[in-house]
This record gives sequence, structure tokens and C-alpha cells, in this order.
Amino acid sequence: MNVMITGAAGGLGRALANECASRGYNLFLTDMNEEGLLRIKQGLERQFDVAVAVRACDLTSPESVDEMLSFIDEHRIGFDMLLNIAGLDFEGGFTRRERENIVKIVTLNDAATLRITHAILERRRPGRQFFIVFVSSLASMFPMPLKATYAASKRFLLDFAISLRQELKKQDANVLVFCPGGLATTPEAMRGIEVQGFWGSATTNPLEEVARKTLDRALAGKGIYVPGVLNKFLSFCGKVIPRSWVAAVIRWRWENAQGKWLTGNDNI
Amino acid sequence: MKTIVITGATSGIGLEAARLLVRQGFNVLGVGRNIERCRQAEESIRSENPGASITYFAADLMHQREVVRIGSEIRTFLDEKCDGELHALINNAGCVRSWYMTTEEGYEQQFALNHLAGFLLTHLLLPALQKAHGRVIMTGSESHKGIRMHWDDLMLRRRYNPLTAYKQSKLCNILFAKCLNDRYGSSGIRAYVVDPGLVKTDIGNKETGGLVSLIWSLRKRHGVPPSVPAETYSFLCRQEPAPDGLYYHLCKEKDYSKEVTSENARWLFEISERLCGIENFMEVAE
Repeated sequence: MNVMITGAAGGLGRALANECASRGYNLFLTDMNEEGLLRIKQGLERQFDVAVAVRACDLTSPESVDEMLSFIDEHRIGFDMLLNIAGLDFEGGFTRRERENIVKIVTLNDAATLRITHAILERRRPGRQFFIVFVSSLASMFPMPLKATYAASKRFLLDFAISLRQELKKQDANVLVFCPGGLATTPEAMRGIEVQGFWGSATTNPLEEVARKTLDRALAGKGIYVPGVLNKFLSFCGKVIPRSWVAAVIRWRWENAQGKWLTGNDNI
Repeated sequence: MKTIVITGATSGIGLEAARLLVRQGFNVLGVGRNIERCRQAEESIRSENPGASITYFAADLMHQREVVRIGSEIRTFLDEKCDGELHALINNAGCVRSWYMTTEEGYEQQFALNHLAGFLLTHLLLPALQKAHGRVIMTGSESHKGIRMHWDDLMLRRRYNPLTAYKQSKLCNILFAKCLNDRYGSSGIRAYVVDPGLVKTDIGNKETGGLVSLIWSLRKRHGVPPSVPAETYSFLCRQEPAPDGLYYHLCKEKDYSKEVTSENARWLFEISERLCGIENFMEVAE
């Protein structure tokens, strides 16, 4: 199995790289952070008997992606799986965030994900089944004031993945969309979970477990993965409660939590 | 003047051990993660002992490139100012995590910091330790008992339990010390593990959360001040000739887990060499 992982030098990407390598899959890892890529390559090769190729790339830059694609073509690498992990979030009210940062959320989470997915689908290994994973979020289930752009960008991925899944059914490819709650990936993420109190911890999913189950489900042909009973219930609520009510409740809750978070941490 | 390196020396047990050893006339090199906290710790030690011989180095030992960087800085310092001799290395830096989190290399963080960082730093400083017939001291814990090594899943990816990961990392400390004695005891190096007991520190409140942090806040109230276990480190550094035991609590030898066998120790040693990219533990690659 040849697997490409984007955003592989951090949190979820790194955990999935570990999980794939432990299953003996060969890896092509990409990330903005070149040093981080070299470190994870080293760590994986010391632990597992797998081939790991890395290439730094800014997925939001068409030129950078083209350079990576020519590298892939030069080495005649074909893929059987694409894990779209790269993504970002800037917390805070729409008018309070920097314009470019807000646009960047959509550029990376959506536009760049489409570009790389299209390119890697053209580089499938012939005659084999193909798997794609998109990382959406529990946030995609609701309109989320104060995380408006992020939640909407994740909603885009959710809807896109569900549609693409149907389009690709006849081409022997499975599309899974993964909608996690919080993930304890970095000290900042930990703090984000912490300030939400009970609900933060309760909606947080264990990284090692979701990494394993995401792969299991993608391989089993599943279409959507919402980890955890509480998260499943919340996403169900998102479907039956009027969206404007949901938005009002979330605004009330996040104003509270973000007030605490943003104090002394305004650059997130 | 004999030189001692202590990691995790800006708070808790490490800071008190540094304070005590400086007072007893050692030249202490402390390692801390945060440069500002290093400065504060140095100031605090100097304020009570103006002539103190104390130098701090800042490094986040969680990541191996940082261990390698600081290892080489310390080696240069030892060569220039201490005749290339290191009397003792105290691998004390440690952490607790509530969740499975990984280092840059993709290693589980408690295993990486509590065990691998000390393993790699010992390797990097081994020539200086050998020159001084030095001692290597790990901060262990009674919690190393009642657990086995999860050889088929060392980083506990299959089922992560924060406490299991912590206990296993503390078992690693004592297995590592045992293997050091088995391998290098004849060349004059001695390795020990200190059980500090329950100590009032913040280890369980740093970058943890929810339940782990809450439980630790309740538990640490019953702990002794960090100056109590500091005495045991000082005992192991000062005793001549070097004591024969492996595991110490309150300056006395103590029984350790039956899992601490030469075979387990050798096995962990080989795995750790691979995970740190070390070809020959005796030779520091340039």
C-alpha cells in the first residue's frame, strides 16, 4: 500500500503516519515544515521496516504543488491511499481576525485539499482499489459563531466528501470523511480543550484510537466516521435542531470559553 | 571541583537537588526547557550562595535534536572548563501526559522524555563520565512495580493509558540503570535509580488536563517537599567508594521489581539504541 499523507509533521498526521507504518504501508509524507518531516521520517524508519519519502510543500501554492508532483512523477510513484490531514484554524470573531488569515483557512482547508486530491487521483496505481480520507470536524455539523470560517470550511469538506464518494463508487475508490471533536495534538490544542471545561474533555477523542479506526473504516468502505458516542449524539442534534437555534447556543458557549482562551493567547 | 549535570533542574526535585549539590561544593550544570525559568533558577540559587558554581542550559529534551544539541554544548563546556570530566549525570527531567501525544519523531512523549532522552544524553556524555569514573542517576518511582514492559507495543498506541505509560517509563529507568551497570560497571561507571517517594511538585499539572491534573493536585498535598529526595541524590553523588546498590529511597537501598532482569535490560537497551539512532553506545558519532 502506497500512502500519501498531507500535514504529516504534526498531531493527527504524525499519528496516522505511525499507524500506517505499523501496518507496513509505504509512505510519502508532505508538510510545510521540512525539519519536522525529516524527524518523523527518521522516527518511523527506526521503528518500522517501511520506505518513507518526504517532500516539503506549501499546498496553498500551485507552483509548490507542481514541483512536488514533478518529483513524484520523476520517481514514478503511484498511490493507493490519500490522507488529507493538512488544515488550519484561527480562532476568534470574524471582524477581529486578520483578513489574510481568514482567507487562508479556506485556501488551505478547501482549495488546497481539492487541488491535491485531484492530482493524486490522477496518480493512482492502476488495477488497485483506492482510498481517500478527508478530515472534517465535529464543527462541520453546526454553524459556529466565532469559529464561523473554520466550521464552514469543514462543512465544505463534509459535503464534498459525501458527493465525491458517490462519484467514485464505480471507479473502485472509497471516500471517508472523518469528523473528530477535540484532539490533544499540541499544547495550544490542550489549552483549547481545557478552557471548555467538561465539554472540552468529553468531546475530545484519543489520538491513537482515532488514527487506527480512521484507517480501519476507510479500508472497510465506510463513508463517515464521527468518533465517540457523545459526538455522534451532538452531530445528530445538529441535524434535527433548527440551525439558527444551534448557532445562538454555540455563540453563548464559545464567547465564554474563548474569553478565557484568548486572554494572553491572542495570536492563535 | 567535581561537575554534575542535572536535567529538569528549574523546578521540583531537580531544582532542590541542584541547590543542595551547589551548597555542598559541586559545580552544577542544570538543564531546563524554558530559558526564562533557567535564568530564574540560577538567580535563586545564586541569591543564597553568591559564589555558587552553577550554569544553566536551555533545551526541550522531548525532542532528540535538542538532546543532541545540548549534549554537544555540555561536552564542549566540560572539555574547556572541567578537564573533560563529569562526576555525575542526573537524568531527572520527566513528564506526565493525559493523552497519547507524540514527539517530532512520532514517539510517545512520556517514553521519549522519561526514558529515551536520558538514554541518549548518557550516551553523549559517556566519554566524560568514563574519564571521571562517574555515576548516572535516574529519577524513578515506586510505580515501576506491578507492571511489565509492553514489548509488542512500547509506545502504547493500541490502548493508551496515561498511568501505564508513566509506570512503564519508570520501569525503563531502572532497566536502563541495570544495563549500564552490567555493561560498564567494570569500567568504573555506576548507575542508580532514586525513588523520590510522593513529592510536592507540579509534574502532574504541566500540559496535562482534566482528570490527571485534578488527581495529581489532590495527591501531591500529601507529598514531602522536594528537598527530602534531594538528599538521596547528594548521598549517591558523595558516597565513596560508589555504593553497590541499584535502587535507593531516603539514602537506603530498596527492593525493586522482579521485571528488572538482565535480559529485559539488554532488550530495552538494544531497542533504545535503535530508536536513538546509536550504532555503538561507547562511541559518540560526530
